[in-house]
Amino acid sequence: MKTLLFAPEVFRGDGGIARILRGYLHALLESKADENDTVGLIVLNDTQECFQNMPSYLSGDTITPLVGSNRSKLHFIFSALRHAFTTDRIICGHIHLAPIARVIKWFRPRLSYYIVAHGIEVWRPYSALERRALLNATRIICVSEFTRRQMLRFLPELDPARLIVIPNTLDPDFSLPPDLPTRNIDKDLRLLTVSRLSTADNYKGVDTLIEAMSQILKRHPNATLQIVGSGDDSPRWQELATNSGSAEAISFMGRLSDKELREVYSRCDIFALPSLKEGFGLVYLEAMSFGKPCIAARAGGAPEAVTEEVGALIEYNNVDEIADACIRLAQHSPKPALVRAYLEQFYFSHFKRRLSGALTH
Amino acid sequence: MCGIAGIVGTNQSPSSRAEAVNQMNAAMLHRGPDEQGVFSCNTVSLGNRRLAIFDPDNGHQPMSSADGRYTLVFNGAIYNFEELRAELDPPGPGWQTQCDTEVLLAALIHWGESALPKLRGMFAFAFWDNQTQELLLARDPFGIKPFYYHWGIDGGVTFASELEALFASNQIAREIDPSSINSYLAYFSVPAPKTIYRRVRCLQPGYCAKWKAGKLNLNQYWDLQPENIVRNDVCATYEEFVPKLRSQLEDSVRAHAVSDVRVGAFLSGGLDSSGIAAMLERQSGQKLATFTLGFGEAGFAEQDLARDTAQFIGTDHHEFQLTGDEVANRLPDILARMDQPTGDGINTYFVSRFAAQAGVKVVLSGLGGDEIFGGYPSFRHVPKLMRYLKWWHRLPVSVRKMIIARMRRQGEGRSQKLADFLEHTRDLHEIASLQRMVFAEPSRMALLSKDARGLAERSGPFHPLTDDFGSELQNTGVMRTVSAWEMRTYMTDVLLSDSDVFSMANSIELRTPFVDSPLVRWLWQQPEEFVYTPGRTKGALADAMTDYLPSATRERPKIGFTLPFALWMRGPLRDFLETAFSKSSLGNCPWLDARAVRSLWDDYMQHNNARNWSRVWSLAMLVSFANRHRSS
Repeated sequence: MKTLLFAPEVFRGDGGIARILRGYLHALLESKADENDTVGLIVLNDTQECFQNMPSYLSGDTITPLVGSNRSKLHFIFSALRHAFTTDRIICGHIHLAPIARVIKWFRPRLSYYIVAHGIEVWRPYSALERRALLNATRIICVSEFTRRQMLRFLPELDPARLIVIPNTLDPDFSLPPDLPTRNIDKDLRLLTVSRLSTADNYKGVDTLIEAMSQILKRHPNATLQIVGSGDDSPRWQELATNSGSAEAISFMGRLSDKELREVYSRCDIFALPSLKEGFGLVYLEAMSFGKPCIAARAGGAPEAVTEEVGALIEYNNVDEIADACIRLAQHSPKPALVRAYLEQFYFSHFKRRLSGALTH
Repeated sequence: MCGIAGIVGTNQSPSSRAEAVNQMNAAMLHRGPDEQGVFSCNTVSLGNRRLAIFDPDNGHQPMSSADGRYTLVFNGAIYNFEELRAELDPPGPGWQTQCDTEVLLAALIHWGESALPKLRGMFAFAFWDNQTQELLLARDPFGIKPFYYHWGIDGGVTFASELEALFASNQIAREIDPSSINSYLAYFSVPAPKTIYRRVRCLQPGYCAKWKAGKLNLNQYWDLQPENIVRNDVCATYEEFVPKLRSQLEDSVRAHAVSDVRVGAFLSGGLDSSGIAAMLERQSGQKLATFTLGFGEAGFAEQDLARDTAQFIGTDHHEFQLTGDEVANRLPDILARMDQPTGDGINTYFVSRFAAQAGVKVVLSGLGGDEIFGGYPSFRHVPKLMRYLKWWHRLPVSVRKMIIARMRRQGEGRSQKLADFLEHTRDLHEIASLQRMVFAEPSRMALLSKDARGLAERSGPFHPLTDDFGSELQNTGVMRTVSAWEMRTYMTDVLLSDSDVFSMANSIELRTPFVDSPLVRWLWQQPEEFVYTPGRTKGALADAMTDYLPSATRERPKIGFTLPFALWMRGPLRDFLETAFSKSSLGNCPWLDARAVRSLWDDYMQHNNARNWSRVWSLAMLVSFANRHRSS
């Protein structure tokens, strides 16, 4: 079986979709049944140089073909067409790439193609090309039940049986920390959020988290909030922090390396991302791998990653609820081992099995 | 039908918790004047005020199991309690009462949370398991009975049937939530799960919540997802459908009439209330008491139609002439009863008061008929907008922007609302979400203060349930989707909420046979064109009522129950409105732009724009509510 993975980005950036597609690539490589099976990768935004710095669990030698189009759409289409005619199945890592698979299927009716649906990129009406691509896909892999339902909402002609849910898994490079120390949270409650701070991502709820700090500080005077991430909207959030009267307790960490990120995860007490539009929310899984309770909004796919058992669900845009949830979790924090145990359902081994099942049916 | 209250898991001594619940009970005297009770143990205190409808001499609450492990407080009525009792093993000492409360307790012990979808009726309850130390809280599928709660930072939960009772616990700060004001201006109600107050939530219809050790888990147990609708009785033809619908309606009326006290009916003269009254009269075998509000003002002669219908059915008809002066006199009491601001419900207040004076404790109402059988204009407008939208999105963006800007310049009115649709909506759910909006987006923003405007802009243009409802109702037909939106928004948040508050204010149990889970689920499996007859508003309902009602009542176009407010606001209610829109009164509403509100009122008085009365009146209700809230 020859498999091709079309992806917008895999190694060039560090966004959620890139991390998730690394998991897909890893699972496909590990699921190869024999030597005749091949897995290829064609990436729109990556350069060939990006493949030099692959994580240790992946080897460029085992991926054939391995093409980076360096943001050239023409190059991507040409490469896709060139390799697709000898392939048996295509996995489109983003809906924008799916029309190409649909065109190939025209010429090769026996080809099966799959589309991975992540989040807000599919919670909308579709163009004519996208509709055709979706209606002819062998299967659509949705990262959450919420995403699945939104797709059926905007394209009711889809056969519900062809939309399957495979929750995201941790980046395979994100090894689980061996120790899960418990810390007594007294007054220095440490909150953490990780998010892009761009204008396009202003639904992430970082602003409400900043505003909630003044209430949290009344209860925990030495509480801190670390904001990890960068983006064009960063100055606005910094100004908001200054005006909120809690500026001293809030630090903007910018973009961190994986190692630094792991460090801040391990030091925090509560991870919070009260976002409106998470397709699933990979960052919650990362925080949970350190045994940290998470706060998410009761919106989008986030409630499928975070439950009251391992954190708190709040109403989006409700500053009072965020503050109350932080204070409550500081008092009744779930044990790190319990959080880690909950995370098990999202382990890579389960993901690989689910993906393999979805691709073979 | 009662009021319930309780506190669980707070950092209080059991005695102070029990005392707080006693105070909460006292604040709900009108909900249950017959008796009251409190159960208390180390972790929880539960309270109840009872309006005894079933087995008045027994069925006392809180009700505990014989072994003392389980305790229940319950507000509402379970209409299928006889059937459930037949399915259940009797409790240890055997059935002790003829009351639905005992059956509900046994059902919860036997089935746990799975009992919820089996219940037919209206309910809000709290069920305590002393062994597992878990408290199950639940609200009926349509939100007929209210349930408010506060989840404190200590993990404890305080809940009650009314907001005033919640505050009587002295556990919660009473602060108006500025982010709820935008919702109120949009819908003239605050959509659940939010309320007008900060940190106070409303359990959503069809939801339950489980409290354990400081954690509160919400769970939706009832929905309208097509895959959850059992299709075991689908009609093949309209001729087959109509008699079956009739028998479903008769069954619902029969179930809703179960009572050990006298039952009456509200009669407006329209198809819904007349149909319910006619079925009830025929089933009861005795003269039914019906109640109508009448007005002396020209053009508001619905009482004549009600009188004719009552004569046809043969009821013991009571008519009450409501005047503007009477409304003005009772306004302080009406405002005092209001849990949350509302621009509606005054008619329910007066007709309930009238029925209570006539010695009736339970009344049936036709509420829900328009939502379920497609009586509102939205059932025509939304499909039309859907068709236009497809073409609209084919226009170039620059052309669309130009047209919207032109429409925006035309001031408050239909063009503004249409501009909202054209600017924001992409699918059926977004249209359905916007169609009940009262003030268009720019008008709303203009009425809000700068801070409140910032909060409003963050929450986006749509109803907060749009995405969730879009998920739940995917693959549902257009008319049925509109029906579900009408039920879940206007019916739940405005009609049912007001009906509960204003009927209970007069110690009346109001029952709604159209708002019935088995009926709605049966209708949901039928072909859409049978339920929402094309070209005939509520044609299916009219056909099912043949020989119950005269053809004039069955085929009469919908008029809508309207009080002569536009006239009263220039007469007996003018002083009240001048006070509400005075500088000092608006000064207590920091989330409103006082000048913009005042100019709306001045404009109304100058231009005699009768169509605008409900906007002005609802704003006055909000301002008066805020002033009352401030003084309390």
